[in-house]
Amino acid sequence: MAPKVSKFAPFRSKKLDLGCFVNTLVLRDHTKRKVFEKVEPQRQALRYIIRNTSLPQRMRAQAQLQLTQMHCYTRPTQIKNRCIMAGRGKGILGDFRMSRFQFRLNALAGNIPGVKKASW
Amino acid sequence: MAAPSYSRSPFSLLKRIKLSQSTPLLAQARRAGLANVKDENQTNAFGIAPSSSQPLPPDVARTIETLPVPRAVQAMYLRPLRRTPKYGLPVCNLQLRSYSVRNLDFFADFAMRAAYFLNLPAKGPVPLPRIIERWTVPRSNFAHKKSQENFERRTCRRLIQIQDGNPETVQLWLAYLEKRGYHGVGMKANMWEYEGLDLAKRMDREAKEMQYGVEQEFKRLGLADEHGQELKKKVQNLLGATAEKERQKPEGLSDVSR
Repeated sequence: MAPKVSKFAPFRSKKLDLGCFVNTLVLRDHTKRKVFEKVEPQRQALRYIIRNTSLPQRMRAQAQLQLTQMHCYTRPTQIKNRCIMAGRGKGILGDFRMSRFQFRLNALAGNIPGVKKASW
Repeated sequence: MAAPSYSRSPFSLLKRIKLSQSTPLLAQARRAGLANVKDENQTNAFGIAPSSSQPLPPDVARTIETLPVPRAVQAMYLRPLRRTPKYGLPVCNLQLRSYSVRNLDFFADFAMRAAYFLNLPAKGPVPLPRIIERWTVPRSNFAHKKSQENFERRTCRRLIQIQDGNPETVQLWLAYLEKRGYHGVGMKANMWEYEGLDLAKRMDREAKEMQYGVEQEFKRLGLADEHGQELKKKVQNLLGATAEKERQKPEGLSDVSR
């Protein structure tokens, strides 16, 4: 029996391997990451066909069409880093995967190893 | 908020009663039920506690005090010993990183000692420049960009270089350091191995051998089925011949018996 797929969230993964703050936006981002991971070889193959000038023009055009017709969730540009403590999508410090305010709170609380208030 | 007194266990009440005037740590240990914990002050320099029943005679006690400390123990108080390299060929670069200098220096010292006892000539620990990373974030969660706060992370680094070491011993050393890793200290190692001058010749020879093996494999490629058929025929022939013999033998035997 095929697994039941939600009508509204067809790509949502069955297992949420998330260990952070969760809200709708975080869930959506998680889904996009999963989908992209799954279809990446296919995307790369299509991209290769499109860029390979030794292949027939018709084949390349078809590959182009196929790539553009893929679901938007399969695009790597849809993936956005989000704060693991608050789910915020702006002002993320990549080193800590946290938004600026959460970073400040945690740094002041001494939860981030080695980070101290600076004065020079 | 503290729980009401009637719901607290009677044992937790004992926590507030001071049993003795000894050191807080010792008192804590006693409270935790370690009744046989002895006061550290009673032990001498060697950590030998005198038995409570009968004190040692004064001359014996004096002898124990004046005994020479074993050299391995004495070395722990001195700078780590090091072997002198014969050729000075770098074999391994180990970089230790930490946010705390204390832990880092301790572990670097440990690594030097381990190298000495493994007979590895080690250079270092060289203090590499610190990596200072800084972040500036607004103090508030929203707007108010004029009021900001600076944070920084200073990563201290030490470099230990092993020279002229046997690669296996170096790997052993690295594995030992990893096993006895210290908290808050990261490690990164680069290893180099040196080859003899006949490396190219050896590689050519190996390539030829491999080529032969591959050719043998490729001969059979795609012919597996035909090969199998041939083998089957051979086996059948062989079995047929033996079966014939078997059939003939009893007849001969029976002839003899008659």
